Amino acid sequence: MRILGTAALALNRIWATKIRSLLTMLGVVIGVAAIVALTSIVDGASQGINKSLATLGTNQLNITAMAADSLTEQDANALAALDNVSVMFVQAQNQGTIATRESRVNARLVGVSSQYFEAVKPEIALGSYLSSSSFAATSKDVVFGADAANDLGITKDMLGTSVKLNGQDFRLVGVLDDQAGFGTSGRVYVTIDSARKLFSQYPYVSSIVIQANTPEQVDTLQIQADVLLRERYGLGSETTARYTITNQASLIAAVGTITATLGLLLTGIAAISLLVGGIGIMNIMLVSVRERTREIGVRRAIGAKQSNILTQFLIEAIVLSLAGGIVGLILGEIAAFFLAVLGDWVFSIRLDTVLLALGFSLLVGVVFGVWPARQAAKLEPIDALRFE
Amino acid sequence: MADEVVRLDKVRRDYLVGDQITTALGGVDLVIERGEFVAIVGPSGSGKSTMMNLIGCLDRPSSGSVLIAGDSTNDLSDNKLTELRSRAIGFVFQQFQLLPNTTAIENVMAPLLYQGIGTKAAKKSATHMLTQLGLGDRLNFDRNRLSGGQQQRVAIARALVTSPDIVLADEPTGALDSKTGAAVIELLKELHREGRTIVLITHDLEIAASAPRRVFLRDGLVERDERGVS
Ligand SMILES: Nc1ncnc2c1ncn2[C@@H]1O[C@H](COP(=O)(O)OP(=O)(O)O)[C@@H](O)[C@H]1O
Ligand SMILES: [Mg+2]
Repeated sequence: MRILGTAALALNRIWATKIRSLLTMLGVVIGVAAIVALTSIVDGASQGINKSLATLGTNQLNITAMAADSLTEQDANALAALDNVSVMFVQAQNQGTIATRESRVNARLVGVSSQYFEAVKPEIALGSYLSSSSFAATSKDVVFGADAANDLGITKDMLGTSVKLNGQDFRLVGVLDDQAGFGTSGRVYVTIDSARKLFSQYPYVSSIVIQANTPEQVDTLQIQADVLLRERYGLGSETTARYTITNQASLIAAVGTITATLGLLLTGIAAISLLVGGIGIMNIMLVSVRERTREIGVRRAIGAKQSNILTQFLIEAIVLSLAGGIVGLILGEIAAFFLAVLGDWVFSIRLDTVLLALGFSLLVGVVFGVWPARQAAKLEPIDALRFE
Repeated sequence: MADEVVRLDKVRRDYLVGDQITTALGGVDLVIERGEFVAIVGPSGSGKSTMMNLIGCLDRPSSGSVLIAGDSTNDLSDNKLTELRSRAIGFVFQQFQLLPNTTAIENVMAPLLYQGIGTKAAKKSATHMLTQLGLGDRLNFDRNRLSGGQQQRVAIARALVTSPDIVLADEPTGALDSKTGAAVIELLKELHREGRTIVLITHDLEIAASAPRRVFLRDGLVERDERGVS
């Protein structure tokens, strides 16, 4: 019998026992769906993290204050004077409220120095960044982050109008498109001078960012910055500092390690769930071989060779597993789509995920189908025909 | 020389169950010529099914030799034995043994497909065969929608469709009422008149009487070989 004929027999049988076939597939369906969905979570998460890290650049050092009075603008100026520093900006931030005439919500008020926008280059949705005229001492301009804008219901026609930050009037000049970013929720940006007036914490700043001329200089610069700050505060090299210095490159490397570990974990889950799915298929196929012993005997009597019986049962196992894989893939991608919407990352169907899901379910069908199929093929016709 | 389709020479078949040896056939000689209609008759346990398995190329003798259409089955591989069986033998079983989830025509096509014949040609032959047996309007019925007599006729069509050297019928009337059973025997007689070789296995003397030659088995040996109308 030709292979297509044998495949037709297998499909016929699967169709004739629909419910049972579906239940048999379930293990592989769940396994593959879980893998596809989890892969997309890991993908999406690292996509988001890497994106926000990448906007900051790999030659940056973040120096973050551990307490409100740990770092000052004078520290920032001293750091900016170090060799090989190309850009420096500071941030001062505090919780506060933002309001229009209609509504009022909490937000994080961030004061930034004039180099902030050109260094970070956040995407702009409406209007513009804080301009150099915004940084003039008397101006009170504000740029909203995407989440703060959503919270207050900011629309295009509100650009140039007044909004209240902690009760003081500010002019809205722009809205950022920074939603996919990481930790930027509910932020509004004003100049460092305005921030100082809003929450009077002069001369303290929340963080200082310095950028080395080249990525290669970052590690040296990190040591120099630490030495400088310890000198300024009279700290010994062993004393715990009240600031932390983080290096973007090492953060990216750390994210890479985490992603790789998650990937390994996924592979483990994948292997276990496919193993379970495969055992389910093998179990049902063994039961099936036993139930159909008579049928096998009759087929042998009317001219089926061992190879015909083997292929019939093997194809049945492969079709079950592969169909399970396809259903699992579809369900997994649907789940991944909704996760992407929820987690606000880009949904994409990756070819390697598709091939891997189908490849593995095919492999499971072959590996766990071979033994039952061999049992079927090896039955002696006379024993099979006598079987009650 | 007459055309021998079956030749059994001193055929023994012992079964080993546990450490117990049962002798199902204890040295049987039998020759069946092309075009004969032979009944193998005997009580339960006399060795009829064992003989059918040997003639049907489903099994090989413990000793002695079995020649089917001139080929010895003794030292054939499983594959070669299957090929010989597919070419030379058409089986009709007591319980019809139509394949599950399969229509009448698919049952009749199956032996042809196993021979490697294409679907189209197989369908044509199967339709022809079923139509000849009066089942032209039942082609796409599965076994649940066929009566016992119709199922047995589908099984006979399946046995005939490859034009085998021998039609082997094992208690073909055993699961049928006497009227339907009689019709099946009539059909076998008609096939014999058309020149087919029929081997009918039965424990029923009355049914055996419809065959022109009767081989009586007892305790694994040929007790009597009768010819002519009894
Ligand atoms: N596959 C087998 N394994 C063990 N014993 C068997 C087997 N087939 C038949 N026998 C034994 O061989 C003897 C003949 O059986 P069988 O050929 O089935 O006779 P009949 O078909 O005339 O009833 C019986 O004793 C039976 O129990
Ligand atoms: Mg018997």
